[in-house]
Amino acid sequence: MAAATAEGADRASRPNGLWILPAALMFGLFAGLPLLVVVGLSFTSWDGIGSIEFIGLDNWSRAIRDEQIYDSLWISVLLTVLTWVIQTPLSLLLGVWAAGRQRNRAVLSAIFFLPLLLSTAAIALVWGVLLDPNFGLAAKVGPYIGFPDGNMIGSTNSALLCIVVVLSWQFIPFHTLLYQAATRQIPQMLYDAAVIDGANRVQQFFRITLPQLRNTIVTSSVLMIVGSLTYFETVLIITRGGPGDATNVLPYYMYQRAFQSYEMGYASTLAAFLVLLGTALSLIIVRFSGYSKMRSTLEGM
Amino acid sequence: MTPKKSSPFPFRTMGRTLGGVSLSRRGLLSIAGLAGVSAAAAACGRGGPGDRNSNTIEVWTLQEQEQLEPLENAIARFNDSYDGGDGEDVTVEAVPVNQDNYSDQLQVAMGTNNRPDIFFNWGGGSIRRYVEQDLLVDLTPYLEEDTAWRDSWLPSVLNAGQINGRYYGIPLRGMQPVLLFYNQTMFQEMGQQPPATYDDLVNLVNFFTGQGIQPVALAGLDAWTELMWLEYLVDRIGGAEVFQAIADGEEGAWGHPAILQALQSIRELVDAGAFGTNFSSVAWTSGGADTLFASGEAAMHLMGTWEYTNQLNDNPDFARNDLAYANFPQVSGGAGDPAAVVGNPTNYFSVTRSSNNVEAAVEFLRQQMSSDEYVGELIEAGDVPAVADLTERLQSAPNAEFAIAVYEMVQQAPTFTLSWDQALEPDVAELMLDCLQEVFNGDRTPEEFVEELSNA
Amino acid sequence: MAVTDERTHLRGSGITVGVPVPPSPRRGRRFRSGRRERPNWIAGVASIVWLIFVIVPIYVIVRNSVQSRDAYIEGGPLSPPNELTLEKFEQVLSGGFWTYLINTVIVTVATVALTVGLALPAAYAIVRSRSRLVGSMFRVFLLGLAIPAQACIIPIYLIIIEMNLYDSLTAIVLPTVAFGLPLAVLVLTTVLRDVPRELYESMTLDGAGAARLLWNLAIPMSRAGLVTISIYSALGAWNSFLFPLILTQSEDLRVLTVGLYDFRTQYGIDVPALMAAVLLSALPIFVAYLFARRWLIAGMAGLGGK
Repeated sequence: MAAATAEGADRASRPNGLWILPAALMFGLFAGLPLLVVVGLSFTSWDGIGSIEFIGLDNWSRAIRDEQIYDSLWISVLLTVLTWVIQTPLSLLLGVWAAGRQRNRAVLSAIFFLPLLLSTAAIALVWGVLLDPNFGLAAKVGPYIGFPDGNMIGSTNSALLCIVVVLSWQFIPFHTLLYQAATRQIPQMLYDAAVIDGANRVQQFFRITLPQLRNTIVTSSVLMIVGSLTYFETVLIITRGGPGDATNVLPYYMYQRAFQSYEMGYASTLAAFLVLLGTALSLIIVRFSGYSKMRSTLEGM
Repeated sequence: MTPKKSSPFPFRTMGRTLGGVSLSRRGLLSIAGLAGVSAAAAACGRGGPGDRNSNTIEVWTLQEQEQLEPLENAIARFNDSYDGGDGEDVTVEAVPVNQDNYSDQLQVAMGTNNRPDIFFNWGGGSIRRYVEQDLLVDLTPYLEEDTAWRDSWLPSVLNAGQINGRYYGIPLRGMQPVLLFYNQTMFQEMGQQPPATYDDLVNLVNFFTGQGIQPVALAGLDAWTELMWLEYLVDRIGGAEVFQAIADGEEGAWGHPAILQALQSIRELVDAGAFGTNFSSVAWTSGGADTLFASGEAAMHLMGTWEYTNQLNDNPDFARNDLAYANFPQVSGGAGDPAAVVGNPTNYFSVTRSSNNVEAAVEFLRQQMSSDEYVGELIEAGDVPAVADLTERLQSAPNAEFAIAVYEMVQQAPTFTLSWDQALEPDVAELMLDCLQEVFNGDRTPEEFVEELSNA
Repeated sequence: MAVTDERTHLRGSGITVGVPVPPSPRRGRRFRSGRRERPNWIAGVASIVWLIFVIVPIYVIVRNSVQSRDAYIEGGPLSPPNELTLEKFEQVLSGGFWTYLINTVIVTVATVALTVGLALPAAYAIVRSRSRLVGSMFRVFLLGLAIPAQACIIPIYLIIIEMNLYDSLTAIVLPTVAFGLPLAVLVLTTVLRDVPRELYESMTLDGAGAARLLWNLAIPMSRAGLVTISIYSALGAWNSFLFPLILTQSEDLRVLTVGLYDFRTQYGIDVPALMAAVLLSALPIFVAYLFARRWLIAGMAGLGGK
């Protein structure tokens, strides 16, 4: 009798399935449905104003032959790899450094985090100005770093590097923040024990800090890699995919097809491909990192 | 501020029915089971034609101060005086749109129910698709009914806005041929003449490089500025027919020897240092090339007539004292007429059929676009309107000399080739711009350019 | 008690969510406090190099927003301050800036409110409900984590048109919320799982229903997670660019990011005016940063974990 009452009370205290419904509806309508529609549109020809025509696999077979896709894919991969290779060690070291409680570190980290206050658009606009070879920073700094005429953003090889630098400036503060917070959670006694064993600072870093930050490295890497599929505004504002197609990343190529060439159908094929790629990327990362399920994209961050 | 032929607009073959099923958008979404939900959601959101003030005429235009002011004034005059008759008062409203992606934004809006009532365009290719979708008001009956209105325009310019022999656009501002601007003070001080021939140009390039001055300013981050060089060189070398054949889609048209020669000339100029070494990093939008030219660090600048207006606004001293202009030099042995021009004949306002106030919108264009006040203000802003019999009025312009020269230049030009990126299908235009940029940057040879475009 | 643990591992998802406990980050042991350290010179020098890299663009923004265009052309971006004028700020403020700001604030507030309002009951249901439906919906949410929102712009555009929402702020908010939901649900689920079952049980015995448990127990216990998702959704909305670019057209509905993009063509040649606009656009967040720095930082770091 008493048990039955407790069970009844327990049941009454538990939310039923309806509680998840509003969120599920919102997600389904504005994220789930678009996913289905984008796949549907990838089999159609649509110019944005006319009618939508079913054309079977034409877009997909065209995509397979479209050299620009391979170029854009390569550029996207390159951008992702460069972003990761540059941002991960830098933000890791900065984060560990900033985790120290020294006063100067606190002050400097407050400055380090300033780029977080600016939107992607604002950052891209500022760097667009800085990269002008005659009146911008490129003219002043270029000569010292191998660009005597400041011609950085306009040359095929360095344009992508410019984008990488801009993205680093924008995102390293965020990842530094993640590492800083995580480093502060490492129990002090681990270090104390290491000191007793005679480990020096470098050894401590590799034996304690790095292994302890393993989860954070995974989280941060996933955010970087999934995020790199969305670096679109930076390219649109600074290089418009140029020079030539040197910075024409896949999301930008999709935008071009959709809103400049008015091939919404074909652009949907590219979009569907992007979605597949994002999902696959995450799955790969999760598998290699030994985690059971995949997660995590940060839109707009 | 800086008129720009933003993204290219297409000639596009519509309604390709590849033997498939044709669905309306509504149909597709009904399949997705959306229609019901959408009706419900529509109730809680703003927007849609029902919500929109039906007495407002939205005029989409580029976001540039010089052009906006005369337009705003014309709108104010119209709003003051116009009475729709049935006691319905209609208000015209300007909507300035970012010119960096004006075409993208227009395309996006044209796909919705919130189309602008009147919108800025480049005529020809830029509105062909909308005409084919029957989205635009055919202005021919209005112009035929009111022949005085029709005859107030330069026929060649008004006709350039025709699609299939029908009028869909009313010129809204000046003609924009591309000119070779140069710094006359600098030229005089150094005892140089503007180039009459391509060889003169090469000599000038060598001369100015020797003086440590960049011969020509070029905003090479934006490929359409580089396109002007190709357009003129091809025109001078092979004549206007070469591009006409390309625009008409003739087989092997890109293989014309004039194209290759023009590209090789471009390489010659680049290698001689005509554009300096860092032109490919200079963005048009941030005014990099204009400033370089105005600050005396570059001697010449090939640009549309808006260069004059912009400089007048941003660097008035330079515009008044130093800025001069010339026809693009001829190429010895070339087949082209040295009087021919390339550029934008003008820009047009078109009216959408879905507007609630088509009659009032047309009336606005009729009353204001060739009105003395509006034309006067355009002239004052440094523009050369496409209005007939203007020579006399231009005498009173602040820049009379420039205005009359442009006016006569267009009048006398045997051909006025529309900018290639406006005339071609958008995907071809994009490919062309990308490849051209690579030729300028030395990442692609002229031969590869021809091959790539021939295969497109 | 589990809830004071600063970090929790999200079971079954691999994500680690550090639950910040602001605003007292100094609580507990001091980092490496028990030991005197040699100064780390290499790190010091490296951090100075990084400082220069970070601060130069910021200096350019601040410095050039207070000078005239001529001074910029003459002195270049790095010139030391030699004149001070606020005319560029006036120019920007009189050019539609306030409208853009208000729109951005509306979008941000609506996004945060909707995200929290939808994600909280969802996460609560996921943790507490025994419905099988809820479990499978959670898995659908998890799948959504990997979708890059920009890739869906075309169908979203189509759907927004069909709903007659084109050219409204609602059009920006709805997809922004939808794509932010998976992360928000995930974070909150993690946090709510750490509320000890005994607490639920004891309140249940007092006769509390599901709603009261949420209000009196779950919300107070998950305050830190709520801060994290609020900050993330706020930043997402504040920064969003593609959605407003495509889904709105009217000038009076423009948000700051798109407004800035427009400022470039408007003031392109006038770098100081552009810099003033950029600076002004960052000011609201800067003020928030000043007053709630610990909350902001802790909230952002909440996603890292160990």
